[in-house]
Amino acid sequence: MVMDIRMATVIPMTTIMTTEGGGSDRSLSELLYLLQFADSALPVGGFSFSNGLETAIQQGIVDGPATLRTYTETSMWQAATSDGVAVLCAHRAVEAGDVDELMRIDRLTYQRKLNEETRLMTVRMGKKLCELSAGMIEEPLPRDWFQKIRSGETPGTHPVSLAITLGTLKANRRDAFGVHQYGVANGVLSAALRLMRISFVDTQKILLDVTARVDTAYERVADATIDEMASFSPIIDILAAVHVKGHVRMFMN
Amino acid sequence: MFSGARELGAYQDEPPQLPSGSFGKNAMLRLGFEPGPHRSLLRTLHRRAPLIVQQALYWDEEMPGLPCVSIISNAGGILQGDRNVVEIDMAAGSQAHVTTQSATRIHEMDANYASQTQELTLAAGSYLEYIARPIIPARNSRFIQATKVSIDPTATLIYSEILMPGRKHYGDGEIFQYKLFSSTVEAARPDGTALFAEKFVIEPDVSELSRMGVMGGFHVFGNVIVLTPKENADALFDRVTPAFDADNEIAYGASRLPNDAGIIFKVLAMESAPVMAKIREFWSEAREIAAGHRVPENFLWA
Repeated sequence: MVMDIRMATVIPMTTIMTTEGGGSDRSLSELLYLLQFADSALPVGGFSFSNGLETAIQQGIVDGPATLRTYTETSMWQAATSDGVAVLCAHRAVEAGDVDELMRIDRLTYQRKLNEETRLMTVRMGKKLCELSAGMIEEPLPRDWFQKIRSGETPGTHPVSLAITLGTLKANRRDAFGVHQYGVANGVLSAALRLMRISFVDTQKILLDVTARVDTAYERVADATIDEMASFSPIIDILAAVHVKGHVRMFMN
Repeated sequence: MFSGARELGAYQDEPPQLPSGSFGKNAMLRLGFEPGPHRSLLRTLHRRAPLIVQQALYWDEEMPGLPCVSIISNAGGILQGDRNVVEIDMAAGSQAHVTTQSATRIHEMDANYASQTQELTLAAGSYLEYIARPIIPARNSRFIQATKVSIDPTATLIYSEILMPGRKHYGDGEIFQYKLFSSTVEAARPDGTALFAEKFVIEPDVSELSRMGVMGGFHVFGNVIVLTPKENADALFDRVTPAFDADNEIAYGASRLPNDAGIIFKVLAMESAPVMAKIREFWSEAREIAAGHRVPENFLWA
């Protein structure tokens, strides 16, 4: 599987690092690889997880565009103050080339996942993403990190794999955080399309609205240290617990 | 120990009353339990007011050998500038039940903050129930707590906390009007291997608590952590049927902690009584699995 990906696509670093002007500090190619890693079509298995939304819909807590919007906002805020902080800290460690620090961040992130499905989700997506980047990016870190995940040396949480991927591609910290937050919102909203009666226009409108607030979240956590990861969402936690024991379900969480 | 905590940044001003952490504001309790010939004993008791423990009583009819200890405060609650420390040390094979005398009131504040540090150490085969009564954070209060647990793989800890929204029925009602409630629980094995960590930084002014997914329409939050060997945790997990029961205004559910550390159980309701009742049920299941006895009926006056 790893070999297939490596043979299929190899992005030469020189292309990625090209910078141009054109009214923005970011080159077009830099923009496009951010889009690539934020795309819900990125095969890391995000589509299998609903972030508790499936139970929220079954329980009637989410029943239309207004409640779906609030649910998405809550998921994004909780993600910003927990996994988002992990992305930022791991990105710093990538820049510093500090693998021990990456392992510490990975461990601390895993230890804060207090529900088995959220743990499964983070390590499954983290491993898939790292496998993908190990096959695509000609740099040692993604490949070495994937080996560490495979050998069980490190849990392989998603925020750390994302920071390694984007950090190796020289995306800046803020952009990496943005890609992460977009992934959270998009994950909830694409699950909603499959779980409830809602139009594409509604979900896209919600996505546009909630992503407009990502700067506030970033400002809040921009210089947070890894010990400051925190979250408080007892309803989502209880929904996750209900989901684990649920009999009728489409998503893994 | 909390001086570096970012969430306390805005609350560094000294109270106009006694300076923070000074005499009368630096309560300390150190409780050490050891097994005795017939029952476990409270063998070590160091205390510094305003936290007080007098002696262990044996009030539990299902476990007559279980020393039960009430933590009392002669300050009538937690005030600005308080720096409390609670240490509980369970020797190998010892058992204990620790609770608080009444709800812990975190009083209204206009300067500084209050903190509490807890260190729970459980040696092989020991069993500790730390079931505090609800915490009531009043308007403008700022409270930070850090709980560190060191637990042997064969020991069991049942740790419960209930957070009220404030003085709910006082005046026009005080719902989520506190400034800060920060709580971190971290657990590790005696060799330092970390098990799990849970951290909340609740700031109702920053992020609305009543939003859906957080507290929703609920007011009272109960959180129980059971650290116990895996076979106990598996049995306990099987016994809990989670529910989101909007009609009866209660929601609860259990999840498995990472690294086979145990189970975490969360309850939400509108008042303290249903939360305490649900926690009591869960605690009773946990006690039966870990210690072989049920929890007795609640006292009529409790």
